[in-house]
Amino acid sequence: MLDQYAGIAPKADLMLLEQLGEELQGRSFLHVNSTRAGGGVAEILQRMLPILTAIGIDARWEVIEGDASFFDMTKKMHNALQGTPETITGTMWEHYADVNRRNAERLDLDADAVIIHDPQPAAFIDFKREGWWIWRCHIDVSNPVREVVDGIVRYARRYDAAVFSVARFAWAMGTDEFIIPPSIDPLSDKNREMDATEIRLVLDRLGIPTDRPIVLQVSRFDRFKDPIGVIQAYRMVKKYNDCILVLAGSPATDDPEGEVVLNEVREYAADDPDIYILLLPPFSDLDINALQRSATVILQKSLKEGFGLTVSEAMWKGKPIIGGAVGGIPLQIVHGVTGFLVHSVEGAAFRIRQFLNNPAMARRMGERSREYVRENFLITRQTRDYLSVWYTLEAGRKTVIEV
Amino acid sequence: METATKPFEFRQCITILKATGRKAKNLRELRDVLAVINTESIFHHVYQYFLKGHILEYTNDFAQWAGIVLEERALSEQLSNIDPFAFDTTDALRHELVEVVDRYLRTFPDPGDVLPGEEFFFNQTVTLIFPSDIRAKNLAEFLIAMRYIDGSSIYYHFYEARTRLGSRMDDFAKWFEEVLGKQELAQRLRSVDLFMHSIEGIREHIIEAVEEEVRRGMYGALKETPALAR
Repeated sequence: MLDQYAGIAPKADLMLLEQLGEELQGRSFLHVNSTRAGGGVAEILQRMLPILTAIGIDARWEVIEGDASFFDMTKKMHNALQGTPETITGTMWEHYADVNRRNAERLDLDADAVIIHDPQPAAFIDFKREGWWIWRCHIDVSNPVREVVDGIVRYARRYDAAVFSVARFAWAMGTDEFIIPPSIDPLSDKNREMDATEIRLVLDRLGIPTDRPIVLQVSRFDRFKDPIGVIQAYRMVKKYNDCILVLAGSPATDDPEGEVVLNEVREYAADDPDIYILLLPPFSDLDINALQRSATVILQKSLKEGFGLTVSEAMWKGKPIIGGAVGGIPLQIVHGVTGFLVHSVEGAAFRIRQFLNNPAMARRMGERSREYVRENFLITRQTRDYLSVWYTLEAGRKTVIEV
Repeated sequence: METATKPFEFRQCITILKATGRKAKNLRELRDVLAVINTESIFHHVYQYFLKGHILEYTNDFAQWAGIVLEERALSEQLSNIDPFAFDTTDALRHELVEVVDRYLRTFPDPGDVLPGEEFFFNQTVTLIFPSDIRAKNLAEFLIAMRYIDGSSIYYHFYEARTRLGSRMDDFAKWFEEVLGKQELAQRLRSVDLFMHSIEGIREHIIEAVEEEVRRGMYGALKETPALAR
């Protein structure tokens, strides 16, 4: 299977992957998260498990189950960890621990290495019996609500290691904290090459016209993604450049707020016929791919962002990208080199106009973007990094390790 | 072409970033943490600059932060001008870095605090070294390999080796000297100013030096062949 990545992913990444596969041959590797569909974590795991299996690792993926009040609480927790004031009561924490306990009893958590993704199943550490346990935080926790951090840290610090997407998210909990950015799979339906006919068919089906430049943001309907700000920026641009705006996203089972935000966005867009709000079903990967490939400018105007896979996806397609200067986005967008970082609606509007009016600059940045993603943000690199952390723990946490 | 009894085995490396948990929100804090942080962190922020590609304007992360975030350009120039390979130990390098910051703090008013998120985050790395499955038995094979090996191989054998082996020695020069008996070529490599080149620039320098050595070897061989020497 790794052969499929030859000529696409950096050769050194593939070599180390193979070598680590040989070293960890037949060992078991469990991932646990809170949803099998929707959101970046599920997307990465869907693509990563076959790679792990292909190199000889016994990889499994389990999903935590919970009732509505559990996911309401964990959404509050998610928001609070990203800086929004939220109150989480003692009763909520008890319910959180209880749901974790019931899941831990239901699931087989025994493996040589276990990665627990995000806060929802973090309390599983209470039920660790064997193996190396790693807590993987995917969200932007650089400026969190302190009490909620304390509630999670009491679990997270007991893991053998923690992984954050960006260095400034790390919490100094006293356990080893690694920095591993997320990634995209160049071979998935979301990112594979598409020809013009295939793209045209998708756009026709979605009812998106192609007679004018398309400005696109792909994201969940979440206030942290600032969909209202995107519409405001588009309206500023529209005075100068005729274009259409597409806001496309899918619902996620662990995000109860999505529908509320979607309604807010629809209301704000009012009856502007040039704004297309698409609620796509989960696994609409080819639709997203076609939209990204047909867009003239792509935005990720987040106010908080753990990483922003959509940024890497757009860059991989050689598109000029404008991103909010928050969270993990500056790791991907090198301002003025692979795109533009913005701090305001006005900034976004200005950069959209620049790209619409200067196709040569847009093309140049797009080309650099694709290469930057190839070197840094492909799934082969992330899989390699997870295995490297596991290998590092086994090697006694040395700083230089011969494989 | 003479064949080495001990072939050169190219290795390559990858690094994984690790947070130390220490950060600095102003220059004084940077200085204080710099004075005590583990040597692995200093190694990462200074020596591993060469692994980062060439998007950065200054030659180490401390200089980059001082110039771009603190906007203290003179300080970043002074920090940039420190050649880490001129020091025998990372602690000696640390001493120089702290000294430069102290001198700056004595002369200029303290820069203020940076915005949250803009702090200097002290990181370090774990380095995994692994074989590239490429080996060279002589200079001709070395030359071919040099054109194709990963940039991380050059970093490991040419940059990282200087701190691993000490004495401004690198793995390539060591092999040339100790196995092939090519002192002059080894000396030529040792005299390359690492700081003025990217990894790709270094690749070109090495190729150029080895090519010249191979040409000289061939010319020498021709002269020693009576039929052709006439």
